[in-house]
Amino acid sequence: MSALKGSAGPAALVATGCGTALACVCAVGLLEIDRRLGGLWSVAAVLVAALLCAGLARALARLTAVVPSGVGLLAFLSRGLGRRWAMALMLPYAALILALVAIEARIVGTLLAALMPVPPAAGAIAFLVATWAVARAGLRPGLRLQAAATWLLIGGFALMAALAVARAAAQPDFLARLLPAAPAPMAFVAGVGQALFLFMGFELVTTQTELARAPGDVGRALSRSVQVLAAFYALAALALLAMPAGGTAAMTPRLLLAPPGAGPLVAAAVGLLCLLASFTSWNGALLTLSRLVYALASQGLLPRPLARLDGKRLVPPNALGALLALAVLLTVLLDGTALVSVVLAAAAAGAALVWAASVAVRERAPFAEPGRPRRHRLAAAALAALFIAFGLGAVVETLPNLHTSKGVIAHGR
Amino acid sequence: MTPEQQLQGALDGFLRAYRARPDLVAEQQGWSPVIALEASDAPARVSVALADGRVAGTGGGRPPTLAITGELRTLCDVLELRRDPNEPYLFGELLVRGPEADFVRLDYVASRLCPR
Repeated sequence: MSALKGSAGPAALVATGCGTALACVCAVGLLEIDRRLGGLWSVAAVLVAALLCAGLARALARLTAVVPSGVGLLAFLSRGLGRRWAMALMLPYAALILALVAIEARIVGTLLAALMPVPPAAGAIAFLVATWAVARAGLRPGLRLQAAATWLLIGGFALMAALAVARAAAQPDFLARLLPAAPAPMAFVAGVGQALFLFMGFELVTTQTELARAPGDVGRALSRSVQVLAAFYALAALALLAMPAGGTAAMTPRLLLAPPGAGPLVAAAVGLLCLLASFTSWNGALLTLSRLVYALASQGLLPRPLARLDGKRLVPPNALGALLALAVLLTVLLDGTALVSVVLAAAAAGAALVWAASVAVRERAPFAEPGRPRRHRLAAAALAALFIAFGLGAVVETLPNLHTSKGVIAHGR
Repeated sequence: MTPEQQLQGALDGFLRAYRARPDLVAEQQGWSPVIALEASDAPARVSVALADGRVAGTGGGRPPTLAITGELRTLCDVLELRRDPNEPYLFGELLVRGPEADFVRLDYVASRLCPR
């Protein structure tokens, strides 16, 4: 391959990994973990998930080195497992991403309703349409701008979380809440499964391989993204200790993200950070999914009209429109805490399955090195099994408890 | 015919088809990449430079702004308009290095030329 100089430095790549994983819906995930576990048990669940993702990051680094494709997971799985298996794994994953976008939109709607006199549903749809309009116009925020936004986001929320932990440490029941009673084993397994969801999206760093400045930058960025996300989520999990005991059962993400008694300026700043997080997630998902829809339509696997490309703006307008319509429909349909809990659990399981497949594919041609020791294949099999076990755990624990799940997203209250 | 001659022949055919579409050429005004195509399984490497959307030689030794790698057969299938480039790209059989906008534009040109 020619020695082309890329434009994406290591910091920008790490920001990409973190930015695509961080979204307001992660606050919902953290609430779910806190309800199951609490205190240091929540942190432990995050760190176990991070360890698994660190293993995944190493596998993805190899996949990217052998097949440096901007398509990422679909390309890797296709080369390793064949196209049909790759599609069978990736299409549900893509559908779940769209469902998560819908939940994200509902959270944004709730946030906007707290800041201005706008019905939550209208705010949610306005957010989807505005982001779609940016993509439709062919506007792509530069990597540096996206990186700056992501670091601002992480810094802002980390500061708020640190202040929340300091507030919590001053409370008399801090130690008791820091170390609650040990959860049931299945509850911990489900917590780890839910924590996997928090990292969902970091693997999209692999789609920047065409722009990376040096070979190995993407691999390093994958590992560092996991480290940054692990530290951030661990801190955020601890920040929940600042909430009233048992309060997270009825908590809404907007209350989670704004400190108690915060003035309008702080609330607005928090709202802005949340919008930034949501925009980068939805914008990234929209562009990636629209290319996938366009490509599938080009092959006749989806209706041909979706394969139209705007020659001036170089975006697939019909695919973008279809995705917007689907996102709006899902935003309307995913009304209710039970449905949201199911989507989060399914997303965790979906991500776990795709990641398990990625880890397995690393040990197959064309990715495995000749003469690779058997112990690596065994370790990969064990890691894949753990991903599947924890992912399934999230689903298995969620389904029986749907009727008791509450307060995941409020309706503007 | 050597692999490089085969690849060059396929590229020449693609450029003939492109030049035969003045509307498509005009649409690429302002686009001036140097595109390199390299086979991953054979000693074959060719390049083409565009200036304002018009074919302007092989690039005169300039470094490529867009590099595309794939098996010789895949590259020839795409250049000879038997396959849409999106399909092998999506499934990891065509690798690209360079700005996404350039590849998307090249993909657009190839898709317009490729009969469906």
